[in-house]
Amino acid sequence: MVFNRLIKDRQTRDAIMNASVLGLNLVTSTFVGLIIGWFLDKWLGTKPWLLLVFLVLGIIAGFKNVFMEVKKISEADKAEHEGHGQDD
Amino acid sequence: MAGGLPHPVLLVDVALESVGLHIPSHVAYAWFAMALLIVLGFLATRKMAMVPTGLQNFFELAIGGLESFVVENIGEKGRKVFPFLCALFLFIITGNLIGLVPGLDSPTNNVNTNAAMAITVFLYYNFWGLKMWGPGYIKHFMGPFWWLVPLMLPIEIISHLARPLSLTLRLFGNIRGEEIVLALLFALAPVIGTFPMYFLFSLADCIQAFVFFMLTMIYLKGSLEHAH
Repeated sequence: MVFNRLIKDRQTRDAIMNASVLGLNLVTSTFVGLIIGWFLDKWLGTKPWLLLVFLVLGIIAGFKNVFMEVKKISEADKAEHEGHGQDD
Repeated sequence: MAGGLPHPVLLVDVALESVGLHIPSHVAYAWFAMALLIVLGFLATRKMAMVPTGLQNFFELAIGGLESFVVENIGEKGRKVFPFLCALFLFIITGNLIGLVPGLDSPTNNVNTNAAMAITVFLYYNFWGLKMWGPGYIKHFMGPFWWLVPLMLPIEIISHLARPLSLTLRLFGNIRGEEIVLALLFALAPVIGTFPMYFLFSLADCIQAFVFFMLTMIYLKGSLEHAH
């Protein structure tokens, strides 16, 4: 692929990709939780409780996403290191 | 474009205005990217040969590489969703890169274009999930243990709904940010200032197209696989 030749260093490329994926997951989940809570409150008339509950759920969801993503990255790192070990 | 700076001349906009059509810039440039891809596809497939040369060779290399990447990650099931993924990738990369040509603009520097694509992705992977698993698709949202279901269900729903939002904002922010930086640097030091940035931004454009493509692929993989 042309893309592979743009940066020869695969790690740099992966680092840029992960950096642009990780941060936004945290923020958007929080906002989606907040918005869901706000609309449910408006609909059911239970101000401010559902908003708070869904905001906390959104924050948890964001951290869960980041946790899963980081787990995947660290597993990939480990696999790469082991691969190098076998090469040597 | 960035506020306060002189408005650039956008060729397709000017052309459409002169015909008397008032179409928003991002729609006009999305059509332009589509037209470019259709013409290139037509040129590449007009004279098909067993030993490909020129344009056909380039497209076979790009699409073949993407297809083997998708099949490597999703498995054989990936071939069914590959046309969607490939079209998305080609459109986004074309849209991103035409923004670097003077006189043209990226269709992807507008939230509307990106939101349209991200919502399509969201509907598409849920459609595949429902088609593959039927009502059992809800197991994808229920987490590992039955006693965690009341907590996991809202969390999973929120994180699934956050996906189209983060896809939209990531592409929009990167492409729009690039254009603002280019405009500001051009105001500071015309050509000399912007020229080195073109290398960085052409790379970043490719990476953003690839990130969108790869995340879509991961989401599709999640809905095609068994819940665990």
